[in-house]
Amino acid sequence: MGDLQEKLGLEFPAYKFVVEQGKIREFAQAVGDSNPVYVNSEAAIKEGYQNVIAPPTFGVCIEMWGGPGFESLMKELGVNAVRILHAEEEFEYFKEINPGDEITATTRVSNIFRKEGKAGAMNFVTLETTHTNQRAEKVSISRMMIVERL
Amino acid sequence: MPAELYLENVNVGDEMPVLTKEPITELQLVKYAGGSGDFNPIHTIDAIGKKAGFGGVIAHGMLVMGFMGQAITNWVPNKYLKKFKTRFVAVTKPQDIITVSGKVIKKEEDLITCEIMAKDQKGEIKTTGQFEFTLPKKS
Repeated sequence: MGDLQEKLGLEFPAYKFVVEQGKIREFAQAVGDSNPVYVNSEAAIKEGYQNVIAPPTFGVCIEMWGGPGFESLMKELGVNAVRILHAEEEFEYFKEINPGDEITATTRVSNIFRKEGKAGAMNFVTLETTHTNQRAEKVSISRMMIVERL
Repeated sequence: MPAELYLENVNVGDEMPVLTKEPITELQLVKYAGGSGDFNPIHTIDAIGKKAGFGGVIAHGMLVMGFMGQAITNWVPNKYLKKFKTRFVAVTKPQDIITVSGKVIKKEEDLITCEIMAKDQKGEIKTTGQFEFTLPKKS
């Protein structure tokens, strides 16, 4: 990574991700989560939702399937992708995500710093992604902190 | 289906219901790669995991966070969840059996904060975190 502070606030081009019911089911099944609100619209409506909803960590799916791809993000940041570890992940929730939603995602570098440790220097980068639906409602924010071992 | 929860019934020190998952399998990592779109080969190709010094493939951190999300929403309906964060402490491997537990550490007006962790069958902590939620009042 070149000049770290230069990357602070860097914003990546927005992208769209259309939420498919089958994708939600596939994601929940991969986790092994059999909660009916992810697969059965009647059960979800009974629980007070508009339709089937997305699980709490579904943001990863929006970013990995809809986004420019982890490697190209890292390239843009000047980070060596093979030296990366996922350190922390955070989600904030505002509205439910349902099948058919068209999510617009915008990612920016919200924090970046270098730390000198016993094992050598490390760069910490936080990528904050805001998810907005087709009604211009903010549905969730995800913050991924990654560590680059130098 | 989570039982109906009310603000009055959740207090500091209360433990959330424990969730113990089936052992993680290589096949589950393949499914999670496809489900999430995270195709980092360290999670699916043994030779790459060996080359990276892990002796084989390692689980996606986000899969373990998914287990934690499952444990939370087995207890607290999704619509009440406001925030959920995790710190990935140690790598998880196939055959590991993850148990998720947590407890209430703060209650301020209608906002409840819990700590949460995921451990393996040997008691090693894999992931720690916190989540915040609101609940309706019974009265």
